[in-house]
Amino acid sequence: MAVLTSSSQSLQVQRFPQNHYIDSLRWLPQLSAFHRHIILAAFDSESSTSSLQIKSLSNESSSSNPPEITLQSSLTTPSRISSLRTSQNPNKPLIAASTFSGSLLLYTADLVNGSLDFVDSVPEKGFHSGRVTGIDVSENGLEFVSVGEDGRINLVSFVGGRLSCRKVFDSNGLVSYGAVKWASPVEFVSGGLGFGLQWWDQRRPGGPVSQFKANWNHGTTSGIVHSIDIHPSRKHTCLAGGSSGTVFAWDLRWQQQPIMLSGVGTSDLSALSPSESDVWEVQYDNYTTSSNYRNISESRVLPAMICSEDGILAVIEQGEEPVELLAEPCAINSFDIDRQNPSDIVCSLEWESIAILTRS
Amino acid sequence: MPGLTSESDDLAMVPVTPESENQPVVIYPLHHSLKSPIHRLSISWACGNTLRVSVFRKPQSDTTEGDGEAGGRVVEVKLSSSGDEKVDGARWRRIAYSSVTPFALLQSRKHSLSAASRMSLDNPPYKTECWEHVIEYSKEISSLLSDQKPPPRSIIEDPKSVVNEIAEPMCLKAAWELLEIFYVDKQSQSWIPEQLLDWLADYNSLFSGTLPTVHSKLVDFQQELVGVQVVEEDPNYWDAMSSALAVGWLETVVKLLRLHGSYRFDQLSSRETENGLVEAVAVLISKMPRMRPSLREENLGDCYKTKPDFMKAWEKWRTQISKLDCSSYWLQCDHQQTREGLKNLIQIMLGNPTVLSNATFNWMELLISHFLYVRPFTAGLESMHNSAQKCIQLKPVSSPHKLSGLILGILGENTEVVLAECSRSFGPWMMAHAVELLTAGSTHAEILLHEEHSKLGGVSIEELHRLVYAQVLSSHALTWQIAPIYLTSCIKQGIGLLENMLYKQPVQHSQILLKSIEICRLYELDTISSNIMRIAGVHHWKHGRKGSGVFWLQQARDEFRLNRIAKQLFDFVGKSVSDEGFKQWEGLIELLGSESRTAGGLEFLNKYRDFRRSLLQVHGDTPTDAACNAAEALVSLMKNPSTPQRFWLPLLYDSLKLLMWQERQLLNVSQTQFLLNKLQELSMARLRPDFVEADLPSDALSSVRLALATNLGRAILEE
Repeated sequence: MAVLTSSSQSLQVQRFPQNHYIDSLRWLPQLSAFHRHIILAAFDSESSTSSLQIKSLSNESSSSNPPEITLQSSLTTPSRISSLRTSQNPNKPLIAASTFSGSLLLYTADLVNGSLDFVDSVPEKGFHSGRVTGIDVSENGLEFVSVGEDGRINLVSFVGGRLSCRKVFDSNGLVSYGAVKWASPVEFVSGGLGFGLQWWDQRRPGGPVSQFKANWNHGTTSGIVHSIDIHPSRKHTCLAGGSSGTVFAWDLRWQQQPIMLSGVGTSDLSALSPSESDVWEVQYDNYTTSSNYRNISESRVLPAMICSEDGILAVIEQGEEPVELLAEPCAINSFDIDRQNPSDIVCSLEWESIAILTRS
Repeated sequence: MPGLTSESDDLAMVPVTPESENQPVVIYPLHHSLKSPIHRLSISWACGNTLRVSVFRKPQSDTTEGDGEAGGRVVEVKLSSSGDEKVDGARWRRIAYSSVTPFALLQSRKHSLSAASRMSLDNPPYKTECWEHVIEYSKEISSLLSDQKPPPRSIIEDPKSVVNEIAEPMCLKAAWELLEIFYVDKQSQSWIPEQLLDWLADYNSLFSGTLPTVHSKLVDFQQELVGVQVVEEDPNYWDAMSSALAVGWLETVVKLLRLHGSYRFDQLSSRETENGLVEAVAVLISKMPRMRPSLREENLGDCYKTKPDFMKAWEKWRTQISKLDCSSYWLQCDHQQTREGLKNLIQIMLGNPTVLSNATFNWMELLISHFLYVRPFTAGLESMHNSAQKCIQLKPVSSPHKLSGLILGILGENTEVVLAECSRSFGPWMMAHAVELLTAGSTHAEILLHEEHSKLGGVSIEELHRLVYAQVLSSHALTWQIAPIYLTSCIKQGIGLLENMLYKQPVQHSQILLKSIEICRLYELDTISSNIMRIAGVHHWKHGRKGSGVFWLQQARDEFRLNRIAKQLFDFVGKSVSDEGFKQWEGLIELLGSESRTAGGLEFLNKYRDFRRSLLQVHGDTPTDAACNAAEALVSLMKNPSTPQRFWLPLLYDSLKLLMWQERQLLNVSQTQFLLNKLQELSMARLRPDFVEADLPSDALSSVRLALATNLGRAILEE
């Protein structure tokens, strides 16, 4: 256990070595203050099998007994998991997982008994060919959107206990998508190669209603968007993170000019960039702002957390020094901020371990 | 080929190594699920430690083709590494991961120190500083080898628990600590025997495989102890104590002595003398002088830092023991077992060789007992080695333990033997990391390890072991990404092997691709990086992901292939294509166009796309304005010098409907004349031998000419 104290906040970090690679992980909704659960997508390289696991976290914060995580339930999945999302239904949360082979799997977790049950799946055929690079679940937990390397975008609805799938767009490989995020019940944003972002509206099918193409770094190499987030209170702004430590916000109202938050591609920001390599995940960080985010002016981007290939977990804020939470010798593949308890963060490290951070 | 004769459903692959006791033949079943007999096998290495086996059926004749079975299968076989140490894969990887940081830190520190020492001439501070770094490194590695949590300590100590069951210490850690004692820890050179004692106390259990050790004896006795009523009458009680005393586990002996029946309250009065003797021995044991700066928490004895003090104390202690040995109280002690047992303990402390030999089980234990009681002032490796040789003669070993081989190599100051033992018993991880300790410890070893050998391809032994370890790392899908740390510390061959390794990574997996590119960025391997991107680009393009293909080719700045793609786009010009096809084509132009430097002909394609788009919107019933725009686009396209001559006729032929627009003519006189001139120019060009005829109907030229002439006539009339 390590306790770091920065000027404003203290941080507790606990590391839990695992016996397998972790492709993705999420907090599950909290049942009670003492019952915390994590869902993780594990990949065992020895047997080339992948599984979804529910781990429970004992949280009796006494100094003599450090917290432990125990495996509660594990289910083998037919293919490796590329993306993992949970619905925030506290009793029986739904867990959607997209696979490397191009399918979507839906599970439900019973947190009282700690079990994981298969619900339904969308098979590869007619869905995606090749890796599904991103999925997202809508606010009501019943609509899923998926994007893939193959350039397809699909909508999957969960109605009457079954999944039904509908193709929204197929670029026939002209565009490869890397990430997707719902903006509203009918709108979502996809991102991919060349730092491109596309705004889609289901009411206007056939193509994106708005597109962003990066051209701020002429002469330098371009990159890929790996992750997108949209804050529920600011649905017109889309936060994207990708190659070369790049994080930017794209405001639909000022479409031509993205707001750069970090990245080595732009000279005026490289000093402030916490990372120089791929930013794997971005999420708005509600913790620092929960009390005062109404005070942050409309034009400013809300604080965001990133994790990166060069082992950085940091909070970045427009025009300010980034706050580094972790600096690991290996990559941080994914992280999740607990929605109910935004002080808590779980992240997966490349060297087969999990770290849990508590800010106070 | 072995295994091919099998007629069963699945083939088995049998490695053709000669069978030996150490390496039993391993059989890997292949599940290829082909029914008919196998015709051919092809085996190659796949990623990491897996073999790719392609299994082919006999090519079927045409008549039986329709049986629906595949003509072959490719299966991957993962070769499991049969490590000597029983460390599972995950544990091993954890060691590999956590040793990266200490190793890299030490390398960078050594690097900056050697850079600094080249600047200034004062050598000594550099040496000591370097030592401190190596010590830190060694401690860190040693701590990561025991990653298990310590067992929970009970607050109430069990009086009958004499041996702590430690969670199976690893042989690897034992070997590491041994190297640390002898090579790194220079400050405690004077008390090596005591360190060896501590070491044996920690790892004695490792030696108890088939043969007994002091530890195994104590464990056995502890189990017995629960059921025994009067311990002092049990011969095992005295045996256990003499063994523990011989190897210096004083606290265990004292604890056991206090279990003696004479301490019991109801017997104290009747066995007063006996109890006095037991207590006297216990006190003497706990007061034993030790040549060491400090003791571990639970250990007993009196510490002395300097040799004169220690010698003085030792003589005094010995005199006390002799005095007790000759005491008249023994005659008053009527409990025979106690008398004999205590006498035996005294004999051990007096260094009686026969008693010591009886109390110990292998030469290591005997050696420790000699250090403690026979030659307490032993110093220097040579005399220790002599003692060890004597002990081996007294307690010969049939199958030597791997740690004992290592100890003998160290004591014999034979670096080659130490290296060979490490390599044979502990594998590549140990070799790559322990070399740092050896080179820090002795000049001889440093010369030996750093000397470049022509028969090793010009690399030193140190580099060789790093390379071997890097190979092991790169053979696993999860550890390959730490291999670069070790490869880049190899001056001669490292970068070359790193390049090889990066080329071998599968590009189709985007995570691995990005990882490889990141490694290239860190080590400034720009050429490799762009080659990998190029390979990825071609891969994606071939698999129909044109967007990714173009993206990676652009990242690689592969002008050649991008131009090839652009050239393919020209084939589209003048052809009638479906809407879907046009969208694809349009999309590709957009992809290529985003990079301005690959503009070879793209300017034309962009203009052509605009023209084509406006032409597509023109139908018989569209308003004239749209048609007018299309005609404008045609003229500007024809005027543009970047428009290749071979497309002039197809362009005009495409626009026939514009030239013959019903409502009114769309081109004015000068525009029409311009187009006619172009047509004339084309006719002249046709006479040249290198002219390429456009793939158009034979009457295309005449129909265009006719349309233009008609248009010209209408335009003249209009004006």
